[in-house]
Amino acid sequence: MVAATSPRMRRLHVPLWELLDPREHGPAMAWSAALALVAAVLVRAAGWPLWQASALAVAMMVPVFGAKWLADRRRFGDAVTVLGILVVLQGFHGLEHVAQWIQYHILRWPSFISSGLISAANAEWVHFVWNWAVAATVAWLLWRGIRNRWMWALLAWSVAHGAEHTYMMVRYLQVLDEFRALGVTGVSAQGLPGFFGRDGWLATSPLTQDSFVCRAPGLTTAVRLDVHFWWNIGETTLLLVAAHCRMRRGALPGEGA
Amino acid sequence: MVRWRVRWAGGLAVLLLLAACGAMPAPTVVTDDRPPAPVQLRTATLATPTACSAGFVPHALEHTTRSGARIAAVYESNGAGVALGDLDGDGRDEVVLANLAGDASLLWNRGALRFARQALPVTQARAVAVVDVDADGRSDLVFTRRFEKPLWLRNTGVPGAARFSAQPLPDVNNTFYSMAWADLDDDGDLDLVAASYDAEQLKHQGQIFTQRGGIGVFVYWREGATFRAERLATAAEALAIALIDLDGDGQRDIWIGNDFNVRDQIWLRVGSGWRAGLPLDSMTENTMSLDWGDIDNDGQFEIFASDMKPVDKDVATMARWLPMMKKMTRPLTSDDPQHAENTLQVRGADGRWRDQAYERRVDSSGWSWSAKFGDLDADGALDLLVVNGMIARGLFDHLPGAELVEPNMAFRNRGAGSFAVAHEWRLGATASGRGMSMGDLDGDGDLDVVVNNLEAPAVVFENQICGAQHLTVAPRMPGSANPLAVGARLTLRLADTTLVREVRAISGYLSGDPAAVHFGLPPGAVIDTLRIDWPDGRVSWLHDLTPGQHLQISATS
Repeated sequence: MVAATSPRMRRLHVPLWELLDPREHGPAMAWSAALALVAAVLVRAAGWPLWQASALAVAMMVPVFGAKWLADRRRFGDAVTVLGILVVLQGFHGLEHVAQWIQYHILRWPSFISSGLISAANAEWVHFVWNWAVAATVAWLLWRGIRNRWMWALLAWSVAHGAEHTYMMVRYLQVLDEFRALGVTGVSAQGLPGFFGRDGWLATSPLTQDSFVCRAPGLTTAVRLDVHFWWNIGETTLLLVAAHCRMRRGALPGEGA
Repeated sequence: MVRWRVRWAGGLAVLLLLAACGAMPAPTVVTDDRPPAPVQLRTATLATPTACSAGFVPHALEHTTRSGARIAAVYESNGAGVALGDLDGDGRDEVVLANLAGDASLLWNRGALRFARQALPVTQARAVAVVDVDADGRSDLVFTRRFEKPLWLRNTGVPGAARFSAQPLPDVNNTFYSMAWADLDDDGDLDLVAASYDAEQLKHQGQIFTQRGGIGVFVYWREGATFRAERLATAAEALAIALIDLDGDGQRDIWIGNDFNVRDQIWLRVGSGWRAGLPLDSMTENTMSLDWGDIDNDGQFEIFASDMKPVDKDVATMARWLPMMKKMTRPLTSDDPQHAENTLQVRGADGRWRDQAYERRVDSSGWSWSAKFGDLDADGALDLLVVNGMIARGLFDHLPGAELVEPNMAFRNRGAGSFAVAHEWRLGATASGRGMSMGDLDGDGDLDVVVNNLEAPAVVFENQICGAQHLTVAPRMPGSANPLAVGARLTLRLADTTLVREVRAISGYLSGDPAAVHFGLPPGAVIDTLRIDWPDGRVSWLHDLTPGQHLQISATS
């Protein structure tokens, strides 16, 4: 099952491109992207905050991506289509973390403002839900037969990532409970240290004191923003490699619709 | 012959390698051509400890610093300092406790931790130090006050109520929060550095304060019987001042520790002038206290600055802190050197200061005020004590009594300057400490601790850690313009290490230090020599010293 791909990509033969190639939706996607960009610039100029302009742009891209994924489903079946969707969405999530990293390290914004393009989505529960959704999707893809060593590694990575978000989510909810008990309103508990990084569990636990763990670069010293940047760089990289390996093998029995 | 050549070559190679790697420690300034100072030595045997309990035992003192409000609001919440010093020449250090809405207290030391209180009619006081301002050989008291000029209680030497004569420091005409004393121009007398806490003045005076041009940072040069003002800055939020050589040129520089995300200010002494600079990659965001000491016994001082950061990151602690943290967060850019945590500045072989508080586990100590080094367990390594707590209406209204209850934190030096929390010393009182100072108050040689709490009685923590040896030294320069030898540097050489201490008038947060230094000595330690670098540039060497003594060493002319 070889879909129509651009002549250049056919020459390069990058199997991963099979998942991303817009094919017949190419012009529509280009127009959508251009219109989304123009709209985002205009509303920014009109005073909308960055996250609203970004959300508008993303929303304008949804129909054409939806059409592409419907076509992919007919072409590849459910499992590979879901893999393609995951690549795009996790890629966007990864980009959000890259944006945060740039805002913090390059643009030198304060940490609490370095929230990516759609800052309103930079909330504890969003990260928690998203990361467990990724882990669950990867597990489903494995169950549906998309199996290679990179997918297994991705599953382990995403579960570990989800576990850290669970730790943070539990603490977040507990702090909100404490706030209620103290009568505190209007204060966010967002941004507490997690398992890794500066002031995280690993850095402060008596169990790790004086061990090699506290001397490992970044493990107990990186700021939260960097910790999650690297979590997502790792996750996205593993996903891309796993998807690439899968697409290199062509159509497989049992993966179809 | 060949063997000797090989040894020379090998030695040279090692030296070159060390130099190339930058591993050579920065050289300690040793000038053997310094003029020697003959000394007179008086010795006293230290008392035997009356009790040993491997920790500290608190004793309430007859003094409570009051804010004047049912619940303190910000700025009253900052409390007041404490100072230790011998005011009657009996060899025992008195305790002087500043107060806000009430008299200050002078607790005459009657020995064995018994004190007799004398009220001092000084209110709204912040810092307090024992300084011989007029160099008459009798230690005086100097207070900074919230809304008035610093007050000098000149010691007349007359026993009783006439002991002190209250007067302003001559030609010191501003309101200051923090102060420090040292001989900055090497002319033999003590100069004063004083700085304001503008936020408090603004709240008190309103906009007229800024219209008047603020106060800022002043150096008051001692000139005969008066002071000559030199203004270094027109604004400051100074809770602490350190006068310490930061650039290794042998001259004291000025470090102003500012609150409220205002960057600390540093002036380096260059020739006979000052050059503003900031030779730090990282610093505290809300500097509450500054102290310095040689924590790794390498002959160089490290500098500790306290800030506000919760020790525990558990849910209950974070819930108590977060509302305040969200309220006080300022939009500092990510490359701003300020961070809301303690810093421990360590000078590298390249001369640069680097913050190592996080690596050495002293980056967080709670809502911290006075922090000082002292060899509390007398093992030869300086430990660190930080007093904590906050009561502030409007800031902690979500907590009972608007009080953030925080234990004081003692950090035991584990050697080479890395620290571990020492709960076993039982110094973790939760009485909202502000000022704190250390000294030997019961004559047994070890360091006792006095904490001036806010809205709770002040406390002396009796050191009952036994098993080590002590040597306490009070250098004096009688007849000079600096009789208490403030700034003297004492280097005690043992068989396997070298301990360096310095006489200072005031350090930490608003808190005066005794004019004596303490050396803790591990059991069996043998003293090689004691070297004293006097503030006037002379040097004295003492040999054949034994532990267990208090030495009063007077430099004679």
